[in-house]
Amino acid sequence: MTSQAASLPVACHQVGVRYGRTQALDQATFQVEPGQVYALLGRNGSGKTSLVRCLLGHQKPTAGRVDLFGQDVWSARQALMHRVGVVAEEPDAPPLMTTRQLVRFCGSLYPTWDQAGVDQRLGRFRIPMDLPFGRLSRGQKGQVSLALALGPKPALLVLDDPTLGLDAVARREVYDELLGELAERGTTVLITTHDLAGIEGLADRIGILHQGRLLVDASLEDLKARHRKVSWAPSQAVAPTDLAPFAPLWSRAGSLGGEAILTLGDPSQVPGLQVHPLSLEELFVALVGEAEVAS
Amino acid sequence: MSILAVTRREWTGRRNILLLALGFSVISLLSLSFETDPKTAHEKASFMGVFSGTMLAWVIALLFGATMVSRDLEERRFGFFLNQPLHPAQIFLGKVLAGLGLGLLAGLLATLPPVLLSGLWRQLALKDVGSVLGVGLAGCLVLLLFFHVVSIQVRSRSLWLLLDLVAWTAFFAGVRWLSLRLIDGGAFQDMFHLWLGLLAGVTLGLGIAGYLQVAEGRADLQRGHRWVSVTMALTLGLALLAGWADVSWVLKHRPPEAKAQPRNSRIR
Repeated sequence: MTSQAASLPVACHQVGVRYGRTQALDQATFQVEPGQVYALLGRNGSGKTSLVRCLLGHQKPTAGRVDLFGQDVWSARQALMHRVGVVAEEPDAPPLMTTRQLVRFCGSLYPTWDQAGVDQRLGRFRIPMDLPFGRLSRGQKGQVSLALALGPKPALLVLDDPTLGLDAVARREVYDELLGELAERGTTVLITTHDLAGIEGLADRIGILHQGRLLVDASLEDLKARHRKVSWAPSQAVAPTDLAPFAPLWSRAGSLGGEAILTLGDPSQVPGLQVHPLSLEELFVALVGEAEVAS
Repeated sequence: MSILAVTRREWTGRRNILLLALGFSVISLLSLSFETDPKTAHEKASFMGVFSGTMLAWVIALLFGATMVSRDLEERRFGFFLNQPLHPAQIFLGKVLAGLGLGLLAGLLATLPPVLLSGLWRQLALKDVGSVLGVGLAGCLVLLLFFHVVSIQVRSRSLWLLLDLVAWTAFFAGVRWLSLRLIDGGAFQDMFHLWLGLLAGVTLGLGIAGYLQVAEGRADLQRGHRWVSVTMALTLGLALLAGWADVSWVLKHRPPEAKAQPRNSRIR
């Protein structure tokens, strides 16, 4: 194994997961570099959860392998978990344990446990320490899970839809905490989410899973540079042939005008076309929508 | 230390069971007031204490075994353990110890007050106490492991259940056949040893299957079931094979004065 491979926080090689006749994940290959924030996006049922379960050593892939820090996660899970913090999609801490008991439990398992940091975070989140986990609100459960995941000062943080079901304030608090962690320690983050607007300012690299296949694995910068969003007014006569040289990924036209996402060239030269900044959400919808049409 | 951390976590929220145990001991003590003859009353209270304590410990072990992993898996909470730097053996043993400890403690709480207050303890030898504790704990272990395995088999709802049914049916049919061979061969008295040996073998298999379910199945209930089914089928097969070898040896080496019983004399 090369030293570069050993230093990679995440390396998935041709990972496949099959449930009976259903291929949930098919030949997913990607890497996450140290200090990178990798956002794994996809619709419900796209294979994100299966991939995360393989990535954490909860499930053995039916094909391929997942390495964390150069070690096969299935066989070296226990050792690797010293360096990995996890926030599960559904907060999974024992519901009868209070936050104080949970902190004590997790703290006893990690030699690198940062008790002061955990106390500060829980204080910032205003978490009642003596209430059982099961009686906390959805947002508070997510915040406790995040505080516990950051407790051992992990080198890799895996967040499985951490903002699912959170209100805007709780969501903001989770992102602020993540930003603070990134600024302070440069932790590598792999996050799956449906909150595309929220992750846009954080992610360095994007992976888009669709029907079990990794459609896109590129830096957000590259993706935005490769795609342009244009629109035109109803009075402008823009024919499909006008857009053809720019290889439109997606387009729609109606009585209110039209818009398209283009993948090639500089459309600003075309009269009547206005070029707009492209959001991650628009790009995601276009890419996944196009893939659905194609399939 | 990590095993004990898991054990402590399993005890959280289950301490009410100990209050229930104290309630059982009070019921046993109440029987003292219904008896006019003090000697009989003390004997009955002690008997009730020991009986209810043992039963309570076994029921707790049974329920604990049926839920300790499979409920976490079904409610998708087992990942919490897997996300910590815990070895599968630490997770499994921590949970088993918690179940045994809870069963033992509840059993003692239900048993001790009646036994102490009725004065029965004065007549008990240390050996008797050891035997009662040993049987109680062994029963707890067997029930806990058995119901852990059964709960995985039932909750996974996979086709491996067919192998389980075939294996257990074949095992019980085999035990019956071996027992009848011993009776027919005039070695009825060896049947207890045969059954005890089989029980020990099956318990070992249950322990291995339970551990493999955690180590190899992890959060995948179906995969865990597969490991449990294969391990149990192998264990039951090997236990039967060992039982067959034992019975053959016993029948071959039985004393010449031990005569074979006629078939129609078999107790049915």
